[in-house]
Amino acid sequence: MVAAAITTKTETPEAGARGARLAWLRAFGRPLTATGLIITIFFAVLAIIGPWLAPYDPSTVSDATTAAPSAAHWLGTTQNGQDILSQMLYGARVSMLVGVGSAVIGTFLSVLVGLLAGYLGGVADELLSLLANVFLVLPSLPLTIILAAYLPHSGSLGIIFVISITGWAWGARVLRAQTLSLRHRDFVEAARATGERTGQIIIRDILPNQVAVIAASFLGTVTGAILTQAGLAFLGLTDVTQWSWGTILYWAQVSSALLTGAWWWFVPAGLAIALLGTGLSLVNFGIDEFINPRLRQAGVGTRKAAKAITKRPRAVRRRSVPRTPRPAAAPFTPDSTDVILEVKDLKVDYVGEHASTLAVNDVSFTLRRGEVLGIAGESGSGKSTLAYAITRLHKPPAQISGGQILYTRPDGTKVDVLGLDDRQLRDFRWEELSIVFQSAMHALNPILRVGEQIEDAIKAHRPEMSDTARAKRVVELLQLVGIQPDRVRAYPHELSGGMRQRAMIAIGLALDPEIIVMDEPTTALDVVIQRQIVEKIMELKDRLGFSVIFITHDLSLLIELSDTIVVMYAGKLVERAAAQDFYRDPKHPYSRSLLSSFPTLSGPKRELTGIPGTPPDLRKPSPGCAFNPRCPLAFGACIEVVPRLYQLETPTGRTCEAACLVYDEQLGREAVATAPTIEGTLR
Amino acid sequence: MSGTPPVDMAAMPPLQAAGSGIPEGVEPVLEAVDVTKHFAARGGNPLRHQKRIVHAVDGVSLKLYPGYITALVGESGCGKSTLARLFAQLYPLSSGEIRYRGQAVKTTGGKAFRAYVSKVQLILQDPFGSLNPVSLISRTLQRAVRIHHAGKSRAQQRAVVDDLLRQVNLVPPRQFTEKFPHELSGGQLQRISIARALAADPDVFLADEPVSNLDVSIRLGILNLLKKLTLERNVALLYVTHDIASARYFAAETAVMYAGELIEQGPSEEVTQHAAHPYTQLLIASAPDPSRVASARVLDIGQPPSLINPPSGCRFHPRCPYAMQRCRTTTPPRFELGGSHTARCWLYAEDEEAAARRAENLATPCTTTQPLGPKTKEQSQ
Repeated sequence: MVAAAITTKTETPEAGARGARLAWLRAFGRPLTATGLIITIFFAVLAIIGPWLAPYDPSTVSDATTAAPSAAHWLGTTQNGQDILSQMLYGARVSMLVGVGSAVIGTFLSVLVGLLAGYLGGVADELLSLLANVFLVLPSLPLTIILAAYLPHSGSLGIIFVISITGWAWGARVLRAQTLSLRHRDFVEAARATGERTGQIIIRDILPNQVAVIAASFLGTVTGAILTQAGLAFLGLTDVTQWSWGTILYWAQVSSALLTGAWWWFVPAGLAIALLGTGLSLVNFGIDEFINPRLRQAGVGTRKAAKAITKRPRAVRRRSVPRTPRPAAAPFTPDSTDVILEVKDLKVDYVGEHASTLAVNDVSFTLRRGEVLGIAGESGSGKSTLAYAITRLHKPPAQISGGQILYTRPDGTKVDVLGLDDRQLRDFRWEELSIVFQSAMHALNPILRVGEQIEDAIKAHRPEMSDTARAKRVVELLQLVGIQPDRVRAYPHELSGGMRQRAMIAIGLALDPEIIVMDEPTTALDVVIQRQIVEKIMELKDRLGFSVIFITHDLSLLIELSDTIVVMYAGKLVERAAAQDFYRDPKHPYSRSLLSSFPTLSGPKRELTGIPGTPPDLRKPSPGCAFNPRCPLAFGACIEVVPRLYQLETPTGRTCEAACLVYDEQLGREAVATAPTIEGTLR
Repeated sequence: MSGTPPVDMAAMPPLQAAGSGIPEGVEPVLEAVDVTKHFAARGGNPLRHQKRIVHAVDGVSLKLYPGYITALVGESGCGKSTLARLFAQLYPLSSGEIRYRGQAVKTTGGKAFRAYVSKVQLILQDPFGSLNPVSLISRTLQRAVRIHHAGKSRAQQRAVVDDLLRQVNLVPPRQFTEKFPHELSGGQLQRISIARALAADPDVFLADEPVSNLDVSIRLGILNLLKKLTLERNVALLYVTHDIASARYFAAETAVMYAGELIEQGPSEEVTQHAAHPYTQLLIASAPDPSRVASARVLDIGQPPSLINPPSGCRFHPRCPYAMQRCRTTTPPRFELGGSHTARCWLYAEDEEAAARRAENLATPCTTTQPLGPKTKEQSQ
C-alpha cells in the first residue's frame, strides 16, 4: 500500500492526464465485460470472413446425409448432406447484418425522435411523442409477421426495415424522458447562456450524456433483431434459400431433425444465438463505466471493502432490559465529566483499487451528557464519514479499520459500538442514538404520510406499544418540533423544506435517544428557517436533556450553538476547544484562517483573509502537517513531522488541544525563530 | 499539491469600495424596469378555465452599474434567481423592460440573443452541475471561445483558452485543460465557469449564488476574483446570494427581495447596518453570528407565502410584527430613506400611526431578538 501511495504521489500531471484519457480502456479489463467483448468480436469477425472459412458450399448436397459431427464435417450434415458448419458460417453474416442493420436504423430513429421531442418541447414534442406512442401500441409481432410475409423476397434489407420500424419507438420514449431531465440541467442552461446554438447543444451536451442509454438500447436491439430474424426465418417468412441461423433452424424443423435426434443440426444455431445474446448483454454491463468518466475509477474499492469484514470482539449479549429512565435534564456545564460517548483513535478507510484513503485518521474525542459537540470541517475533511462511522451507517468502500467507540449506557455500563452485532446495533441506533440527515426530502419516503413514518420508527422498536398510544406519541412528537398535529396525514412533498426537516427531527426523537447526530441538518435551508430549526433543537435539548453531535461547515452557526468545537482537517482532528474560547482565541492556524474567512454582519468590517490554495486531496497524502501548503505560519519541520494534539491552556483556565507544531517544546522554537511575530499572535 | 496558487492578497481591491453605494453620475449598463414574470403553474381546474399563476417576480426595477457589484439578497423561492435569468433573457418577460445601455432589449433566441449574451453572461450556482460531465475542460472552454472569437485560428483560440485560465488564476493552464469536471475541486470548477463567461468579454456578469456550493475557505477567493474582474474590466456584476453578510463585504449596493418583490435597496453598509424593512431585519437577525448573546432568540414567525396566491397589500404582512391595517390592503410604495436607501414598507409613511409603529420597531426590531414566549407560535404551512 505504501509503495502504491508513493507511485501516485510521484505521478506527473502529464502522466495523470494520459492516464485519465486511457482510463476508459480499463472498463474492458473487467472479466465479464472482456468476455462479452471477446464473444461479440468473435461473431463480428465470423460474419465478415465466415464465407471464406467455410469448408464447403452451404447449399451443395452430398452423400453424407444426416451425418453426426466428424472430422470431415465438424458440425455434421443435413438430410441432404449439406455441411452445417458452412451453413453456420454463411448464416453468421446474414444474422449479424440483420442485427446490426436494424439496430443502426432503429437507434437512429429513436435518437432523432427522442432528442428532438425532449429538447424542443411544445408542439414538436407532442407530435413526435404521439408518433412514438402510436408505434408503441401497434401489435409489433403480428405486424412484423404481416410485413415480412409481404416482403419475403426482398432479402435481409426487408427484414431490417421491418424490425427497425416496429422497434424504434420504445427507445425514443426512453431518450425523450432522459432529454427532458437533461434539458434542465445546469450545464445545458450554461451552454445556452454562453450563446450556443440549439443544434450544438443537442449534439455536444445532450447526446454525449445519453451515450450509455443509446448504446444499451443499440446492443439490446441487436440481440432482439437477431432473435426476431431467427424467429421469422424459423416460421419460413424469409427467403429460406438464403442461409442464416434462422433458416438453418427452419430446415431442421421442416426435416424433423428434432424427432430423428439430429441434434447437431439445430443446436449450433441455437447456441450461437444464445451466446451472442449473452456476449452483448455482458458488454452492456460494462458500457456505463466505459461512457461515464466518473465511474471509471469507482467500484473497485466497494467490492474490496465488502470482502474485508473486520473481526472485532463481540460485545456481550445483553438481555433487553427495560431502559433506565434518563435522569432529569441537567444543564450541561463545561466541567462535566459525565462522558456518554467516547471515540478513541477511530480510523476509517476508503478502500481503493491500489491504495486505501484514510478519511478519518486517529480521531478521538468525548461527548458528555447534555453537551452539544460541534464538528467543523470542509468537504472532504472526513466529518460526514465520522458521523456515519459513529452510527455504523457507513457503506463500502468505507471501512472502519481501527479504534473504539465506547458508549455509556444509562445504567453506567460501557459498550463498544463497533462490537455490536446486527440486532444489538438496531437497538442501539434510534433507542440510544439517532441521526438526522442533511437532505430531509431524500431521507423521508415520498409515498408514506409523515405520521406513518414516525409511527414506523416507533413500531420497529416498541412492538408492544398499542395503536392508540403510538398515535398519541406521534402527535406529541409533532407538537414537540412545532408541526401542527393536523399535518400527520401530510405527504413529505406537501411540507416545506423546514417542516420536512422538523419531521426528520421528530423521527430522530421518537424513541427518546440519548444522543442525536445531526449531519448538516440545516445546510439546505434558508437562514430564517435554519434559525427556527436550530432554536427548536436547542430548546428540545434543554427540555429533554439529550446530547448532540452537530456537524456543519458553517463555523459561525457552530460556535453559536455548540458547547465544544472540534475541527477536522484532512481526516484529522486539528483542534478541540470550548466554543467561546475557540471563538475568542482559536489555536490552530487553520481555525484562525477559517474564522477570518467569514464576513460578519455586526460590528465594524474586518479584513477577510481567507485561505489560499485548495483543500488537500486525501488520495495523495503529504508527509508532515496536511495544512502546511496553505499555512501562513508553516516552517521547516511542518513538511516532515505530523503534529500530534498538544494540550494548551486557555485564558479562561480550561484546556484545549491543537495539532500544530508551533506548540511543540522543541520544534516550536524554530517556528518562533523563523517568524518572531508568531509569539505574539498565536501563543 | 496541484491547485490554485495562493491568492495574491496585495492585488485585492481595497475593502472600502464595498458597501458605500454608487456615486452619482454613473450610468447603468443594464437595467430592469418594472419587470414582472408570471409562470403558469400545474394544477388548477381546466374545466373552469382556472389558470394557476406563480408570481415569481413582480414589478422589480434594478440597475446594474459598470465597475460595481450589486447584491440581490433573499431566501430561496423569492424570485432572485428568476430575476437573474430575466436579465440574461433566458425567459421572456411577462411585462416591463430590460434595458441595455438605455435601449430596451427583447430577444428570445437566434442571432439577437447570441449578440446579447456576448454582452451579458450568466454564472451558475453549482459548479459541479454547470459543466458537461463527459466533456474535457478544454473542449468546454474551446466551445465558448469558438462562439465569441469566431474569426481566430485554432491555435489562437487555444491561446485564448490558456489566457482565460490564467485570468482566473488556474495556472499552469495545461494542468486543467485535459481534465474532466469530476477531477477538479468545486473552487476550480467555479473558476472554469467564470473563465467560460469571460470568453465573451461581457459588460455584465450575472452570478447566481456563485459561492454557495463551495467550501468556506474557497468562497473568499472566488468572490475576490469576481471583484477583481469587475474592477479591472469595468464590468457590472449582479451578485445573487442568500448570504447577506457577504453582500455587506462585496457589494456596493444591496437589494433585498421577498416573495417576488424588491422590498429594500441601498448602499450595502446602510442596508445591513440600518435595515429598514422588518423582513431585512429578520434576515439579518437569523444569520448565524458567534458574537450573539446566547439567550437572545429570534421570533419564529413562519414562512414565506405561496407565490400562487400572494398575500394582498404588503406580502410580508402575515409575518410582520408591526403590520398595520393598510399593510393588509395596500401595497406599500417605495419610501426614500436618505442617500439612495429605499424601502417598501408602510412604517416609513409620514403620519402618526406609522411613526408610532416605527418607534416600536426601533425599540424592539427583529435584530435585537426577543425571547420565545412559553407558547411557541405554531405555524401550519
